[in-house]
Amino acid sequence: MSGAALDFRRQRSASSDPLFRRILAAGAAVAGILLLVVTGYLFAYSAPLWSIQSPISFLTTPAWVTGIEQADGSVLEVYGAASALFGTAATSIIAVLFAAPIGILGAIYLVEFAPRALAVPLAFLVELIAAIPSVVFGLWALGDLSNRLRDSIEWWVASSFGQIFPWLSEDPTSPASDSIFRAGFLLAIMILPMIVAVSREFLRSVPISLREGYIGMGATRWEAIRDVVIPTARIGLIGAVLLALGRALGETIAVTMVIGNAEGIPSSLLLPGQTIASKIANNIGETSGEIPLASMTALALALFLLSFLISLAVRISLRRFSRVRAVS
Amino acid sequence: MKSSAVSVREALLQPGTHDLRRARTDWVMQRIFQVAAFLAVLPLFVLIFYVTLRALPWLSPALLTNNPLDQEPGILNAIVGSLQMTALALLVTGPIGIAGGVYLSEFASSRVATIGEFVIDIMLGIPSIVAGIFAYLVLVPILGFSGWAASAALGVLTLPIVMRTTQEVMRLVPPSIREASLALGVPVWRTTLLVTLRTALPGVLTGLVLATSRSLGETAPLLMTARGTNAENFLDFGTTMNAMPIVIYQYAGAADERSIGQAWATALVLMVIALALNVLVRWRTINSRVA
Repeated sequence: MSGAALDFRRQRSASSDPLFRRILAAGAAVAGILLLVVTGYLFAYSAPLWSIQSPISFLTTPAWVTGIEQADGSVLEVYGAASALFGTAATSIIAVLFAAPIGILGAIYLVEFAPRALAVPLAFLVELIAAIPSVVFGLWALGDLSNRLRDSIEWWVASSFGQIFPWLSEDPTSPASDSIFRAGFLLAIMILPMIVAVSREFLRSVPISLREGYIGMGATRWEAIRDVVIPTARIGLIGAVLLALGRALGETIAVTMVIGNAEGIPSSLLLPGQTIASKIANNIGETSGEIPLASMTALALALFLLSFLISLAVRISLRRFSRVRAVS
Repeated sequence: MKSSAVSVREALLQPGTHDLRRARTDWVMQRIFQVAAFLAVLPLFVLIFYVTLRALPWLSPALLTNNPLDQEPGILNAIVGSLQMTALALLVTGPIGIAGGVYLSEFASSRVATIGEFVIDIMLGIPSIVAGIFAYLVLVPILGFSGWAASAALGVLTLPIVMRTTQEVMRLVPPSIREASLALGVPVWRTTLLVTLRTALPGVLTGLVLATSRSLGETAPLLMTARGTNAENFLDFGTTMNAMPIVIYQYAGAADERSIGQAWATALVLMVIALALNVLVRWRTINSRVA
């Protein structure tokens, strides 16, 4: 493949080839320029905030107060992203905790056990979940799933562990209408196809001969999976989970519809909260003035940098493997 | 490797029980994997079933052909708006993305290709709300709340999808095909367009369809730019524009039954379109094994 590229670069053909090449290069350059422009504007538009608050205090302060006049005439203005950061982290971690085991185990079934006639349709169906728009997930959660979760898993968690861990408790007489846990669970369903698809690809890249060799020595199929397949594909599986984590961090509209959009860090995961994305989506319409808009942009910048770090981690963890299909 | 000398001796002494236990573990693990795979597809069926169940009572030909300003309930302007904003976004990002993907796969030095791939990775990871706030702060002040601004936001989100898939499928074209064409004296540009890209065309189309599907379902950036409207908005890119996701989001939280029903019906329409597009291309890729 790189061979073809080499041949092309050495071609010294006259006529329209250089022009053609330049047009194509311009297409590629658009992506880079667009990324620079978006990043540049995020930095530029969030800059005014740093004149009244340091980035560190922005990230660590839970309170968010947009200009309340105090008794002495001064205006209290505090912008803290900690509450939204907490919600983003909590929902994404809950999502991964549910989706990673099911996704990876399911992918193992598809690759190692399922007959081909079953594996292809199953993989196809799982990937179809990724095609459903997130607002439809949000509507489903709002109209049905949310209440079911409240009455089943959440009720069970609160009644079994709520006494021991306050962060898993809820008021049994009036369970919250929205919660961080529910948003995380919904995210788990939404990132599941990505984990299955990417894990499946890496499990399939483990050479058959490795399994056959181990099974030929007398191992069972499960032992071959445990001792050979999973260790060989480990980095790819980690990459799959990281990729899904990145997707979960940025998911906006479905989360906004079920998380409750409450300010502050809640005392329990079964209470309403907010994520960076849901806070922006929910508040941008009513935001005006230079500093409040800058603080919203700063939230977006924080989210962007977070996804950037995840992309970087995915790239590093998957460097050994040839290619991931990140579009799913 | 678990087999220490002790367990090997045990196995030799009592092969029966040991092997039985291992076989049983094997069986149990297989069932666990099976259940996980089942759980992974379950949400798809539950979701489709439930959305259809809630939407059917509200779905009617009139709903699909009415504009809400003329006669409630109607979502014609939302369907038209969604389709035309997506079409505009892809008219721009399609050619650019294909050109960039071809460049990265065919002409870029390995250094440039690595940088390009990383840029695409980052762009694929841009959360839609970030593209939305960019359009809201930078484009809305210039263009107003409009279809233009919305299409631009959609463009930021779809460009990397088209570019990535194009690059990937171009790479799968065997070098011998290019070489054969070049050996016949065909110029590079004609070889690239008429031989390599032509061979990769089904995969490139797959990328375009995936980008279309993603773009049709985007909500947050549209709420911040197109805003939604009740008026007919065919090709009216200069003002606020309606879209299916906007209707779903705005009616989902409504108090009256009819508005909520309309949200479900719109969700069904959007879901059917998205699923149909994906079934179309994914089925193709399963058969052709390209992409």
